[in-house]
Amino acid sequence: MKRATLARLVLLGPPLAFLLLTFVLPLLRVIWGSVFAPDFTLEFYERMWRTPVYGRVFWITLKLSLLTTVFAALLGYPAAYFLDTVKPRTRQVLLLCVIVPFFLSVLVRNYVWMVLLQRTGLVNRVLSEWGVIGAPLDLMYNELGVLVAMVNMLLPYMIFPILSALLAIPPELRHASASLGAHPAKTFWRVTLPLSMPGVAAGGLLVFIVSLGFFITPALLGGPRQMMVSNLIEFSVRQVLNWPFAFALANTLLIGTLLLYAIYIRALEGRMPRTAGLP
Amino acid sequence: MRRRVIRFVPRAALAAAGGSVLAFLVVPVLTVIPMSFSSSMTFELIPTAPGLSQYQRFFASPEWMVALGRSVQVALGAMLVATVLGTLAALGLRRLATRTRRLLEAALIAPRIVTSIVFAVAAYYVFAAAGLVGTVGGLILAHSVLAFPFVVVFVGSALYGVDPALEEASLSLGAGPVTTFARVTFPQIRLAVFGSALFAFNVSFDEVVVTLFISGVRTKTLPVKVWDAIFYEITPILPAISTVIILASLVVLTPLLLVRRKA
Repeated sequence: MKRATLARLVLLGPPLAFLLLTFVLPLLRVIWGSVFAPDFTLEFYERMWRTPVYGRVFWITLKLSLLTTVFAALLGYPAAYFLDTVKPRTRQVLLLCVIVPFFLSVLVRNYVWMVLLQRTGLVNRVLSEWGVIGAPLDLMYNELGVLVAMVNMLLPYMIFPILSALLAIPPELRHASASLGAHPAKTFWRVTLPLSMPGVAAGGLLVFIVSLGFFITPALLGGPRQMMVSNLIEFSVRQVLNWPFAFALANTLLIGTLLLYAIYIRALEGRMPRTAGLP
Repeated sequence: MRRRVIRFVPRAALAAAGGSVLAFLVVPVLTVIPMSFSSSMTFELIPTAPGLSQYQRFFASPEWMVALGRSVQVALGAMLVATVLGTLAALGLRRLATRTRRLLEAALIAPRIVTSIVFAVAAYYVFAAAGLVGTVGGLILAHSVLAFPFVVVFVGSALYGVDPALEEASLSLGAGPVTTFARVTFPQIRLAVFGSALFAFNVSFDEVVVTLFISGVRTKTLPVKVWDAIFYEITPILPAISTVIILASLVVLTPLLLVRRKA
């Protein structure tokens, strides 16, 4: 055997074998188990689509993910734009506000939202002390609570790609537009915004993909009507022990996520760093 | 040179809007810190009688300490496995032709893209058959899968900066591949390897979805015990534990952030 081939085998063999056994094999088992129980059947997929309750779960998952994406874009763009305008040194410091929470425990961050949004929580207390509200508002165990926490959790996925798109715009373009007499608003609409759209698209797709699989937030901050696909999977496995049905749900989520991710890679090939959402 | 950017909104308005979003990201999670010093049995944002009683309860509870110890144990194991395998993979990827490398790289990063609940169900089923559910070994394996892609990405990008000519020189001067790695390659990627090890530790230490499925009653990690406590016994001890978890992440990740700023 050639020496180079041997080196590749030694280096790539162990990690590939490890992933094959602990990752690929279990996933293949899910795909297999969703259609063979033990004979070939599409019964579980049929049940998933035919039963209105389950259809609703898919609909809610899509709706919450879409709303999260829209709000993340609406909040993320001004934040990224602001970060683009400050001095690099200031930007480095302010970026910590985006990076640090991103790396903190997702469970703790969800828990904190529970404490803040509950009926006796900080938000309700401040609002009633200021006399804005008479009675405490229901801020969680509903769509609002899930959305607030999801947007909070996923904003970094939106801010990073938009910021890198904004930073990649040569400043001369905006100066040229201004010196040719365009109003700053016109420069924004005709130069900055269009050129930063790949960033918005990349961030939007990432936020949407990650949203689809959200589990902790709907479990902690949502009510029964905010059950998402992930929660239904957990319920099927842990409460009712319906493995084939859980496999069918998981497989649907898996295929949906991978398709969207393939679109993400294809559409943004070469334009965005391929780091799977890592900053 | 300082970038001058043409703005269409006044600086103050932009700073207010951007600043509020940044505050929305960072302030909520910090509110848990003052809460953790409460000594009452109910939630207080600003404790009336601040004290460390919740921390004392946490560190004096054998149950919580066992969970904390197990989390550290699993995180150290996952850190080791993910760092070694991820570094091997990154080194191997570099020796492939661009097309093959791209494909394989995508495959190796896949555990980050696949939704955790899907991997959780898959791992639960297969690990149960292999007798790995409810074992520390099983947790280490699953967490390694999740931390592995970060190592491949971080070490891989550090390897871009390594000149292959240096390694070739070392090899042609008679050093073996292992010596070449230890004396030439590794010193250049050291920071990335240690950094991704810390990152891997953090990924494992905070993991909850997959762990919920594959940890048995006897092998609950700290996050899983917190999860249970949130559902079954909302107690004022949780802000203190949350603060400990946050501080642990900050301690582990600060070196990483410092390195990043230098880079």
